[in-house]
Amino acid sequence: MRTTATMQTSGVQTSTVQTLSWLTGLAAGASLALLTVLGLFVTRPDEVQGEAVRLLYVHPATAWVAYMAFAVTSLAGLLWLWPRTRKPLWDRIAGASASIGVVFTGLTLVLGSLWGRATWGFWWVWDARGTSTLLLFLLYAGVVALRYVPATRDARARRTAIGALIAFIDVPLVHFSVKWWKTLHQEASVLQPSGVQIHGLQLFTMLFSFVAFSLVYAWLMIQRTRLARWEDELEAGGLDAAIVARQSEGSQHLIGATS
Amino acid sequence: MTGKRPIVAVLAIVSALGFVVVKGLGNATVYFREADVAVAQRANLGTKRFRIEGIVMPGSILKNGKDTRFTIEQNGVDVAITHQGDPPELFQPNIPVVLEGHFTSATGPVVFESDRILVKHTNQYRQKNPDRVSKYTIPSS
Repeated sequence: MRTTATMQTSGVQTSTVQTLSWLTGLAAGASLALLTVLGLFVTRPDEVQGEAVRLLYVHPATAWVAYMAFAVTSLAGLLWLWPRTRKPLWDRIAGASASIGVVFTGLTLVLGSLWGRATWGFWWVWDARGTSTLLLFLLYAGVVALRYVPATRDARARRTAIGALIAFIDVPLVHFSVKWWKTLHQEASVLQPSGVQIHGLQLFTMLFSFVAFSLVYAWLMIQRTRLARWEDELEAGGLDAAIVARQSEGSQHLIGATS
Repeated sequence: MTGKRPIVAVLAIVSALGFVVVKGLGNATVYFREADVAVAQRANLGTKRFRIEGIVMPGSILKNGKDTRFTIEQNGVDVAITHQGDPPELFQPNIPVVLEGHFTSATGPVVFESDRILVKHTNQYRQKNPDRVSKYTIPSS
């Protein structure tokens, strides 16, 4: 609760953000509840997959949110790297989005594993889709870990931005792996030339799950970005002052090297 | 003094990633060979272990104790399968499968000995509908 004092001092925006947070949270909760009803009770089992098809209403959506989160991380990283648009907010957004993306990639892997067991017969196979997704998880877990390496805020922001941009190369690799290579994982069912391969209500429920999980992402983003700002404000008085003091104690070349 | 270190670190990371992508994904990208491709490469494959893909031909499944025999087909090429162990739940006629195992020989009749069946379901989803009219089949006289 040490942040309470800082929170109240941090300006006029707080109440607007609070309202936005509340509305997004409500929308996310309501759509998750509706998704549960649609996914578990309204839709029927699949002709081939039976009850296992209900994973269609969570697994693709968590993967989609992970892609989106890493796209936001990379974009925010770019905006921070470009001197004309550089501001601390972009780094907070990049950091928040990267960690949420890692959570959703983890969820995608776990849900995919369950689905694999139910349909293929195995928890894990080393096909291109699974392998590249695991790589994506490790890459962005690395980016998030980089943020915990002690450094100045600028160094941390630069590392996050560059790391996120390198790691983003894997996103199209994951998405097109099922098209480019022979994978056990099936090809896309919606974004593909021969038309949508999913029946009406199943399709609606799946697309609705994209909306529901995107709202969850938005709500988490508001919380994480806000938390990052409070952390920065808390540190501003403490750590940065200490670093500056330490630097001024040190010799001339040290200041040059860390700039 | 610290000028070169980040570059070395980035180079190390990039080359490690490159290694993972080439070695790991390289293997993963040829996860299986289609039945027709495998038969064409039979001389090379010999009795080596690999994964083969094909569609389970209807009417070909024969269970005999622990053994399951069936035929898979891909692009007009048939391969006879002898599988040890129980097939997974979704295993059924007309479903694409990926099998792990090997050809019994490089010459003679094409027989593939499998010990692992992976059901490769398609990207199509259809709800079960009790009212749907099932496919009409001509009654045999």
